[in-house]
Amino acid sequence: MGTVEFRNVSFKYPLSEKEALKDVTLKIDASEFVVVCGKSGCGKTTLLRQLKKNLIPYGRLEGEVLYDGENPAVTDDRKSAAEIGFVRQDPDSQIVTDKVWHELAFGLESLGMDNSTIKRRVAETASFFDIQTWFRKNTDELSGGQKQMVNLASVMVMQPKLLILDEPTAQLDPIAASEFLRTIHRINREIGTTVILSEHRLEEAFVMADRVVVMEEGKIICDDVPAKVGTYLSGEPRNDMFLGLPSVMKIFNEIEPSGESPLTMREGRIWLESFLKDRIIPETMQRELPPEIRRQEQGKDRRESKNDEQGHGKGTDKSNKEGRKSNKDRIYAIEAKDLWFRYSKKEQDVLRGTDLRVPKGQWLSILGGNGTGKSTLLKTLCGVIKPSRGDLRTGGRISMLPQDPRTLFTEITAEEELQEALYDKNESDKEKAEKTEKMICLMELQEIRKMHPYDLSGGEQQRLALGKVLLTEPSIILLDEPTKGLDAFFKRTLAEIFMKLTEEGMTIVMVSHDMEFCAEYSYCCAMFFDGEVVSADAPEDFFSGNNFYTTVSNRIAGKWFPKAVTYQEVAGCVKAMM
Amino acid sequence: MFKEGLGETSKFSEYHPTVNLIYFVFVIGITMFATSPVFLAVTFFCAWFYSVILRGYKAIKMNIVFMLPIFAVMVFVNTFFNHNGETILFYLNKAPITKEALVFGVAAAIVLTSVIIWFMCFNVIMSADKFIFLFGRAAPILGLLLSMTFRFIKLLKVRFREISEGQKCLGKEGNKRILSRIRQLLKEVSILISWSLEASIETADSMEARGYGLKGRTFFHIYKFTGRDLKMMILILISGGISALGCIMKEMTMYYYPVLDFPEESWLTAVVLTFYGILLLLPAISDIYGELKWERLNSEM
Repeated sequence: MGTVEFRNVSFKYPLSEKEALKDVTLKIDASEFVVVCGKSGCGKTTLLRQLKKNLIPYGRLEGEVLYDGENPAVTDDRKSAAEIGFVRQDPDSQIVTDKVWHELAFGLESLGMDNSTIKRRVAETASFFDIQTWFRKNTDELSGGQKQMVNLASVMVMQPKLLILDEPTAQLDPIAASEFLRTIHRINREIGTTVILSEHRLEEAFVMADRVVVMEEGKIICDDVPAKVGTYLSGEPRNDMFLGLPSVMKIFNEIEPSGESPLTMREGRIWLESFLKDRIIPETMQRELPPEIRRQEQGKDRRESKNDEQGHGKGTDKSNKEGRKSNKDRIYAIEAKDLWFRYSKKEQDVLRGTDLRVPKGQWLSILGGNGTGKSTLLKTLCGVIKPSRGDLRTGGRISMLPQDPRTLFTEITAEEELQEALYDKNESDKEKAEKTEKMICLMELQEIRKMHPYDLSGGEQQRLALGKVLLTEPSIILLDEPTKGLDAFFKRTLAEIFMKLTEEGMTIVMVSHDMEFCAEYSYCCAMFFDGEVVSADAPEDFFSGNNFYTTVSNRIAGKWFPKAVTYQEVAGCVKAMM
Repeated sequence: MFKEGLGETSKFSEYHPTVNLIYFVFVIGITMFATSPVFLAVTFFCAWFYSVILRGYKAIKMNIVFMLPIFAVMVFVNTFFNHNGETILFYLNKAPITKEALVFGVAAAIVLTSVIIWFMCFNVIMSADKFIFLFGRAAPILGLLLSMTFRFIKLLKVRFREISEGQKCLGKEGNKRILSRIRQLLKEVSILISWSLEASIETADSMEARGYGLKGRTFFHIYKFTGRDLKMMILILISGGISALGCIMKEMTMYYYPVLDFPEESWLTAVVLTFYGILLLLPAISDIYGELKWERLNSEM
C-alpha cells in the first residue's frame, strides 16, 4: 500500500512548447522516503501533482501514472482524499478555518465521521505533532512554522498512506524548517507513510532520505541513494544542482570525485580525520587561507581598492578600528547611533541602543536568531518605523525589498510592473522605456516579460520585485531574507547581481538566516542580538570566531582550518595538503 | 476583581452555547416588552450590572456613550413630534406637548439602551466559536462558511498591513497630494484583491484535497452538554418561562396613552417580578459565585 509508479510519463502544458516532464520513469515502494530535487521550474511540482486527483494539472499526458496500481485520475474521490496527503509551500493559504482544532478536524468532517471518532483522531494527532498547547488558538496567531505544522497535521489526521510535500519549508525560517523536516522523518519512520518530498534545503533532507531523485528540465537525471548522488553531479561539466548539495557532500566530491560520500557533519568529520591523519597541517593554515584559494578575496580586493579610490578605507568593522585615526571624512551610507525602539509601552525594547555604520558600497549581512528584531532594525533604517530615541543619518535614497514580493505587484505583466515604479518620475516616456529595458536585462527577465507576476515562480517573483525596487533608484537597498525559498543555483545569480550593484556604488544591507549564503558572498557579516549589532567582521573572521553560529563547512573542518568557512575554502585547504 | 471585567473568563460563558443562546433569547425578547416602571428599573439595573461585571470600568464609559445620544434623540423626538396624550404641558407653535409623550420617550429610551447593553454582553459571551457551533449544528456548511469568513477577515487585515508597509519601503506614500494619495490607496486595495484571489485558489485546492465536497459532511465541535448545563438550562427555562408568561399576560406592560395608566400591584406581578429578577441576575450570580470560589480556593492553597 502506498506505492507509486511512473511509466515513461511525459507531460505538456497547453500553449507551452516545452514538455514539462520528459519520459519520466520512477518507482517508489511503500514506506520509502524519496527526496525530489532540482532547480526551480525543473518539473518537480508537475511531477508531484500527477498523484493527487484534484491537483492534476491540465495538459497532455503520455505514459502511465499509477498509485497502488491504479490511475490517480480515476480513483474514487474519497480514497484520494483520505489516502494521499498533499502539503504545499504557502502556510497561510492552505489553512481553511479560524481555529486550530477545527482545521485538524476539517478532513474528517469531509469524510463524514461522527464527533467522538473525530475527537479521538484529532486528540492523538495533536499529541503526535505536539500541538496540544495551542490546540484552541486562532490560526492567525500562529507563527509560520506552527501554521505549516497544522497543515501537515490536518493532512496526517486522515491517516494517508502517501504523503507528498511540495517545498514545504520554503517560507519557513531554518529552525522551524528543520523541525518540520524532522517531523516528516518521524512520520516516515514511526508510522510508515510513504513520503515524497521536494525540497531546496537539502542539508537536512539528504540525511533522512532513502533515495534522491534529481530532475533537470523535466527529466530525471539521477536516482540513487543520497551518498552517491554527489558523484553524478560533480562530474564535468559540473551540474548546476551541485551547488544545492549538502556542504559535506560538496567538500567530499571536490576532493574525491566518486565513492560514497559522508552525509552528516559527524560522518564528514570522521572522514576528514582519517583523511588528514598522517599529514601535518602547516602553521600558516591556522591563521589564514592559502593564497590560491581565496576566491572570495577577489571580490573583496576589488571592493577595497575601489573604496580606497574614493578615500574610505576597508570594511565596516576594521575600518571602525583602524580607519578612524587615518581619515575622518569617510563616506557612510548609513550612520545610526543609539537607536531605541519598542512596539508598545508595555513591551520590551526591540532596539536597545543600536549602533551601525555602513560605508558606501558595502554589502552587510545581519544574522541573528528568530524574533530578535532584525526586521525591525531594517524597517527603522528604511523609515517605516520611527525610533523612539537615537540618531539616524542616511546618505541617499533608501528602498527596501519586503519579505513577500507579492506585496509589490499591481500590474498584469512583468514589464508593466517595472514601468509602474517609474510612474511618479518626471521623465519622458522614452527615458522610462530605456530604464525598464535595462532593468529587464539586468534581472534576466526577458523570457517572462509578458507574464503575469503571479504566474511566476518564487525566484522570478523575487527578481521582478528587486527590479522594481531598483527602478526607484535607491543608493541604499535593504533586503529582508532575500534567499528564502530560492534554489542554490539562483542564489548564486542573485549574489552576482548584488556584486554588480555594489560595484556601481550601491550599498546593501541584508537580514538573513542563510549563513551559507552570507559566508560565501557578502562582504561583511554582523550579528544582531539583544537589540544591538554585536559583532561585525569580514565573513571568514566573523564565522571562524564563532563556535555555535557558523557555517556547516566551518563546523566540519574548523578544527583543522579555522579560517575556511565555505565549502570551496575547506576543499581548497584539503587539496593544498595533498 | 472586576476592574478589567471578566470577559471570556466569565463562568457563564463556560456553559454550553445552547444555554447561552436560549438565555439571551429570553432576556432580550422579554426586555423589549417590559414597559412598566418597576420592570424597566429592574431591566436597566441588571443590564448595567452585568455589563460591568463582564467588561469592567470601560463598560460604564461605553454604556454612557451609547445611552446619552439615544436618550436625547428619543426623548426629544417623542416629546416634540408625538402629540398623543391628554395631559398638555404647553403649546409649541400651536402643537400640544404632552406629559405622556415625554414619559413614553424616556421609557422607550430605557428599553432601547437596555437591549443594546444586553447585546454588548451577548457579544462577550457568544464568541465566534459558539456562533459557528450553533450554525454548524443547523447545517454543517453554514458553520464552515462562518469559520472561513472569520479567518478571511483577519487574513485581509494582516495582508493589508503588509502591503502598506511594502509600499512604504518602496518610498511611496510620501506624497502629500490628495490625488496621488487616493491613487496609492487604490493601488494597495488592488494588490490586496489580486493577492487574496490568488491565495483563495490555493485554499480551495487545499479544501478539495482534504475531501471537501464529498457527500455526508459532518460538523465537529468541542462542546459538551453536561449536568451543569442541564441545571442552568432548567433554571433559565423556569424563570424565563414564568417571566414570558407574565409578559404575555400583560403583567409587565403599561399603557402610556391616552393617559399614564400605572398597573395595579398584585401578587401575580410580584411573582413575575421575582422570577424576572432571577432570570436577569442568573449569569451575574454564577459569575460572582465562581469568582468567590476561585478566590477561596486560591487562598486555601
